[in-house]
Amino acid sequence: MSATALPASPARSRADFVRRLLANRSFVIGAALFSIVALVAVFADWLAPFDPLRGNFRTRMLAPNAVNWLGTDHFGRDILSRVMFGARISLAIGLVVTLITGVLGTLIGAVAGYMRSLDGPIMRLMDAFMAFPPIILAIAISAALGGSAINVAIALAIAATPHTARVVRASVLVVREMEYVDAARSLGVSHARILLRHVMPNAMAPLIVRLTYVFAVAILNEAVLSYIGVGPPPPAPTFGSIVANGRDFIIDAPWITIAPGLAIIVTVLGLNLLGDGLRDALDPRMGVGPR
Amino acid sequence: MLSFIIRRAAASIPVLLLVSLITFGLLWLVPGDPAAILLDASATPEALERVRRELGLDQPFLVRMGQWYWRILHGDLGNSLLLNRSVASAIVERLPVTLSLTALAFVFAALVGIAAGVTAAVRHGRAADQSVMMLALLGLSIPEFWLGLVLIWGLAVGAGLFPAGGYVPFSENPVEWARHVALPAFTLACVQMGFIARMTRSSMLEVLGQDFIRTARAKGLPESTLVMQHGLANAMVPVVTVMGIMVGGLLGNAVVTEQVFAIPGVGRLIIGAVLSRDFPVIQGGLLYLALIYLVVNLIVDVLYAVIDPRVRLG
Amino acid sequence: MKTMFSRFALAMAAAVAFTAPAMAQKQGGDVVIAMTQAPPSLDPHASSAQVARNVNLHMFETLYARDENAKPVPDLAEGATISPDGLTYVFALRKDVKFHNGKMMGSADVAASLERFRKGGASAALLAAIDSITASGPNEVTVKLKSVQSTFLGNLSSPRSPIAIIPAEEAAKPIGQASPIGTGPFKFVEYKPDSHVKIEKFADYKPNPAYKERDGFAGAKIVYLNSVTFRFIPEAGARNAALESGQVQLNETSDSPTAKRLKDNPAFTVIPVLPFSMQVVKFNHAQAPGSDANFRRAVALAIDPEEIMAVSYPDIYKLDYAWVYGGSAYHSDRGKWKTDIAAAKAELAKSGYKGEKLAYIVDNTRPSVDVATVMQQQLAQIGVNIDIKVADWPTVSKVGFTDEGWNFWTHGFGIEPFEGPASVIAPWVKGVSQRKTDPVIDGLFDKINTEMSVEGQKKIFDQFQDHMSKEAVALNIGNYGLFQIASSKLKNFKAYRIPRMWGVWLD
Repeated sequence: MSATALPASPARSRADFVRRLLANRSFVIGAALFSIVALVAVFADWLAPFDPLRGNFRTRMLAPNAVNWLGTDHFGRDILSRVMFGARISLAIGLVVTLITGVLGTLIGAVAGYMRSLDGPIMRLMDAFMAFPPIILAIAISAALGGSAINVAIALAIAATPHTARVVRASVLVVREMEYVDAARSLGVSHARILLRHVMPNAMAPLIVRLTYVFAVAILNEAVLSYIGVGPPPPAPTFGSIVANGRDFIIDAPWITIAPGLAIIVTVLGLNLLGDGLRDALDPRMGVGPR
Repeated sequence: MLSFIIRRAAASIPVLLLVSLITFGLLWLVPGDPAAILLDASATPEALERVRRELGLDQPFLVRMGQWYWRILHGDLGNSLLLNRSVASAIVERLPVTLSLTALAFVFAALVGIAAGVTAAVRHGRAADQSVMMLALLGLSIPEFWLGLVLIWGLAVGAGLFPAGGYVPFSENPVEWARHVALPAFTLACVQMGFIARMTRSSMLEVLGQDFIRTARAKGLPESTLVMQHGLANAMVPVVTVMGIMVGGLLGNAVVTEQVFAIPGVGRLIIGAVLSRDFPVIQGGLLYLALIYLVVNLIVDVLYAVIDPRVRLG
Repeated sequence: MKTMFSRFALAMAAAVAFTAPAMAQKQGGDVVIAMTQAPPSLDPHASSAQVARNVNLHMFETLYARDENAKPVPDLAEGATISPDGLTYVFALRKDVKFHNGKMMGSADVAASLERFRKGGASAALLAAIDSITASGPNEVTVKLKSVQSTFLGNLSSPRSPIAIIPAEEAAKPIGQASPIGTGPFKFVEYKPDSHVKIEKFADYKPNPAYKERDGFAGAKIVYLNSVTFRFIPEAGARNAALESGQVQLNETSDSPTAKRLKDNPAFTVIPVLPFSMQVVKFNHAQAPGSDANFRRAVALAIDPEEIMAVSYPDIYKLDYAWVYGGSAYHSDRGKWKTDIAAAKAELAKSGYKGEKLAYIVDNTRPSVDVATVMQQQLAQIGVNIDIKVADWPTVSKVGFTDEGWNFWTHGFGIEPFEGPASVIAPWVKGVSQRKTDPVIDGLFDKINTEMSVEGQKKIFDQFQDHMSKEAVALNIGNYGLFQIASSKLKNFKAYRIPRMWGVWLD
């Protein structure tokens, strides 16, 4: 966030921003890809040709054909339907991770950035969390809590929060030193009010961009947890659990593994493009993005 | 310089203490019983109890925590409950495997990533730039374990070009080592490649737009000299920083890659330990990874200070 | 003397006739076997895991061992004399048996090994009937039992967690810490955790002169190979790939699509090992609704075993409701049931079950999870509502042996049906597995332990099976097996409970 860009007229600058966004190819393509996946997830009940849970063992491991467009798995369940419903759970997990990370990261980052006395201890704790590879931290936490969609989301959010807190803290630090904040403080405005009214709005842009990437990484990491075997329990499909289901049959029924992997790529690519587009439109010098 | 290093190293001590606290606290939440894995399904509760006692799992939390801190202060990470060896030796045995895999992936990612990033920056806005950036983003969007499975399916089993898993130490047979680590290292490098390419491009763009480059260009210095000598050298500062962060990503993703390709590294050790409740190994393994991360970032900060003296004063 | 000689000559001739045509044994060669996991321990007394047996039973031997038909026969012992009251066993030991460390095996080693096992072995219950163990001569060990146990030699020869004879000084070490020194045809070379165990031919090994041929875990163990390496490759695809690229000569567990694909490939031999295990579904009798026989019967009637087995173990299953394997003297057709949804609903209506969510715990291997997943679908048809809880084996087996936190649990019974009726009944004694004491089962167990005749034992076991199905104490869904795939260069390989590497050679 460039330090001098105090919005003169919010309405005007908002219109400006939207125009910049729509002119940004990354954003448009990303938004399109992600919207397709999100729509499929929301309307899976109508779109999916079969019940994703109901198998028929007499039609198991069929290669893609006219009836089962993406083939069937070893239960005889339709892969296309499972991928569609898988999008629902995977996106839901991604969304919950993003929300938890957003709230926790904002709270921790804002407090650390604004309260000088707490900055040191909080950031040391964040450093300590960041010393663990995030995916290993998530595996350990998910295994500790026991595999369920919400526990997976909690584990991934804990792993993603420290970096997000850092991003928020960095923008708070910049804003904190600005004249109008000083002025507000000397007028006796409360800390909470200063944080909410003056500091946070200016920290929003990098936070939103960061959260787009958090969403993308959450989709990828949910798949990893399911693959390792500490993800949500069966039979509910997630992108990761469908891949994990197919790994024993990768040689003879590769379609079970390939289809959900491609769905992951489309979703994550969409989110990453979306994030890039947002970043460019907000401030091209903000950083390099995901992971 | 020395005082900077000391100051920087001292700053990581509280972090290390917090790291070990998190490690210990986290794992006590993990349910399950390491005694059970040594016995079969029809083992009697008495048998389980006996094994538990032999493994010292019947001690209270605080006692075990105290013992653990006492030991790690003496450099002893304890004994694995299941592997019949000390945690330190179990980790040290596998460390070369993981480090050689991640190092190869790192070199691979850095070479390709930096070259791609520079190309993209020099050809800013043109087709080459856009395709490099698209590929980089694609690399960031592929799940590694899935890529690994697809590579096994296509290149190892389908085309028979590579072994589908396993590991041969470099010291035993360098050619076989290379054949075994090629696919996993490529898998591991893919994401990082994209990351480095993006980072290099954006810092190059920033540097190339600066006054001293414009001045140099005006003086008639050839473009290649400009890019290689001035641009790249200056662009390396942020890239070096990112490489420190990357180590965490590489080590984490190596865990998954080792799992897919059945490579006996630290990652598989930790996953195996998580799945069998081998507490000392989980704790020791996490501590080791965190330590590597902290040391690498210390080195990175020092390097950073060498490249950019202003940092030392900060 | 003359008769003995001619008998020997005859046996020699038979052996030659059996092996000679088209089978020239070749000395040497190194075999690599792909296994799913690493053995938890190479101390034979420390682990009853299948993967540990696979390795350990190449290096270690027992006093008695199971033959090809699972019958106990002498191995390190020449034989046993049993007192008329059935309480004293005097074992005569073979005199020419050498440990891998060069020492000769004597009665002190045997007594120390048995003592160690019964105090802390992974399956110490096998020797629970022992009152005292004495080295009664340099090559003689006397074991006194507290009470008559018809299965004592069966227990002593169980491969579950082998009651291996190890040197006395190793037996003095705590469980889990003995060095891998045994009397077996192979000796230990190295153990690289997460990678492999390597063993090599024990040059001083003398095959048991009482036998002429390979026979189960006993028999004449003749080694042609130089070494065997057990490589741990958890991914099914990676194991097959290693086999197909020639890096391993035997894949110890393969998936069925690969087995099908390689069946007609002359470079490989596909060996179905069926039955290898029995899929058992346990109910928690300590909690409603598992405490209610009507509920359990409803479940039994609602499920379709064929679908469960076909999905979980594609092409390597056999529907069999007996609690021992086919071919056993105790096998019968009792306990067969048919899927009947209407009858299941009627039984369910009689129970107190009102549609609550029930916990189905299962370990995180694909087939186990698949069994739970198919059952969940089938039981939904009669309105039984299931939550599947997947966890690692240690966690699941901890929860599954407590009264709370589970309603269903499925896993394989592999070794128990192989060991025989008493071993199959034992897990249900004192309600250990179903979490509620069942006096009928406990009574049958006491009876079978003192019944010495096979016919008598069969009658008791029939009663056990009838009781299991009438009360639906637990469900036996069927037998499953595994595919082993060998390179066709590996000759004379015969599948058994472990992939035996004696009697085989590389072409």
